[in-house]
Amino acid sequence: MTYKYDQVDHLERLVDFRGAREYHLSKDRAKRDKRMPLKDAIAEFVQDGDILGETGFSYVRSPIQAYFEIVRQQKKNIKGIGSPMSNVSYMIARDCMDGVHLSYVGVEMRGNDKHFSRAIINKKAEIHSLWSHGSMALGFKAAQLGVPCVGSKQLLGTDMVKYNPYVKVIDNPVGKDKDPVCMIPALFPDVCIVHCQQADRYGNAVIQGPAINDIALASACRKVIITAERIVPEMTIRDNSSAAIPFWYVDAVVELPYGAYPGACPGFYFWHRQWWEFLIRIGTVTDENVMSFTEEWIMNCKDQYEWIEKAGGIRVIDHDRRLMEAAQLIADDSLTDYDYDEVIPKWD
Amino acid sequence: MTNIAPANPLEMLAYNLSLLIEDEQIVYVGTGLPMVGGMLAKKTHAKNITLVYESGGQDPLEGDMPWSVGCPFTYRKSPMSMEMSTSFGQCAIGYVDIAFQGGAQFDMYGNVNTSVIGSYENPKTILPGSGGGNDIGSLTEKSVLVGLQTPDRFPEKVDFLTTPGYLSGGNSRKEAGLLGGPIAVVTQVGVYDFEPESKRMRLVGLNPGMTVEIAQACTGFELLVADDLEMIAAPSEEVLTTLRTVVDPRGVFTSLPG
Repeated sequence: MTYKYDQVDHLERLVDFRGAREYHLSKDRAKRDKRMPLKDAIAEFVQDGDILGETGFSYVRSPIQAYFEIVRQQKKNIKGIGSPMSNVSYMIARDCMDGVHLSYVGVEMRGNDKHFSRAIINKKAEIHSLWSHGSMALGFKAAQLGVPCVGSKQLLGTDMVKYNPYVKVIDNPVGKDKDPVCMIPALFPDVCIVHCQQADRYGNAVIQGPAINDIALASACRKVIITAERIVPEMTIRDNSSAAIPFWYVDAVVELPYGAYPGACPGFYFWHRQWWEFLIRIGTVTDENVMSFTEEWIMNCKDQYEWIEKAGGIRVIDHDRRLMEAAQLIADDSLTDYDYDEVIPKWD
Repeated sequence: MTNIAPANPLEMLAYNLSLLIEDEQIVYVGTGLPMVGGMLAKKTHAKNITLVYESGGQDPLEGDMPWSVGCPFTYRKSPMSMEMSTSFGQCAIGYVDIAFQGGAQFDMYGNVNTSVIGSYENPKTILPGSGGGNDIGSLTEKSVLVGLQTPDRFPEKVDFLTTPGYLSGGNSRKEAGLLGGPIAVVTQVGVYDFEPESKRMRLVGLNPGMTVEIAQACTGFELLVADDLEMIAAPSEEVLTTLRTVVDPRGVFTSLPG
């Protein structure tokens, strides 16, 4: 089954307020069991050419294992958007993605993504628009609020406004000060996958720790896939009135323990820090490296359990579980050592 | 007679960052040296500051050095966390006092480039992008630029203006509708401010062993030098010991490579 959009051009579709509204109006309202395997959810709800909204904080409660499945299913012509959006690089490398609306790609202090830089320079992928985290976040938030645009104090005076066809600087027409504001349209990506700690079978989803843009993105996107560490009884969520995303936004629910690994998931596990350092410091350095690294860690892993087995199995995931528990003071952190062997390449 | 090694340039940088933080401020921090400076301030002269993070973590309990701004140590037992839009929103509405940011290039008006080296149409390198940098630099009352200083990294004009400093100087930042602005640049050489009229970068303090000539040699434009240029005193043994044993005990951010 494929899902049709009113607006075929993806650049227009991103800011198609009425089109997104029409799409949402057409969605199935039934409160039904939406659980399905990850493979089926990705096959059905992530289409070639979709604008994919990145959720979480790149490597914190992000649906990394679902992204790996997108790569394994060899989706084509996906466009990336998100703040941040560090997982787009390997999707570009594996020919799944050919365009991005860019806010930030990289792993902070661990390093810059050299493959992403090469891919843009060599025109393997195109940057459609430039954003800051906050301005893009306002575009998603505007969608959630149901307003076609917002006026911001971000982006003013920069070169980014020259390379962002969506925003426009005008004098504030309504406030006390008639000073310049940057008008940001509500942004409506086609699909997002939100990894959360708990969901019920219908799609009510609980987020623990920072929600980043995920509540806004789940509201904005035409299609929403929830991957959850645990499926809990609906009453558990009702008891705490704790859902961040309501079931009627959600198209598919996937029970996916370790779905954010090798990223971190609050309440469950710390990062596999060395994997990210290897990716950014060695894996992205040459095209050959990025292909062999993604072959090993994405193409040659059937699912998250195979991934964990390959990374060292129960010892590794249990260690990262303890680190997260201690970081959140669930375990005694005075007994916990965060030392590890950082991946520092020794080039000849 | 001192018993411990003198501060290295990265430790001086972290120390100078910490001195810019006043007690009871709300401080917006990133990872790396700003984090070290923020934690050092909290352990020394500014015990009552509140740390907030762009990933949404607010007022975490102290813990290990975060691996990322999204690290659980940035929302450790936080009373709440914020979404990204509101996390930056509080900079705009006046609930954040000071923020720090790095970059690949800083120019004479404190404009920052984190987007591209070369021209946008014909890039040599695509950098990670703004991230929260533009938001912090556009919205926060006081922002502080942090980086290692070389002539390439301190050009007269940035290749690409990602985060606004004082744009083309004078009143141009205000006229563009921006809020707040950078108050200082902190590097391994020393500390700079922005001359009030022209808004040009001005050397105001030199780290031990540094000279105006060294500062100029590390800069790709003509530096202004304050009349009352300060020779910054090295941190006390007590502060250095706190930095080395409590704040960054493994020297992740403040030990020199090799």
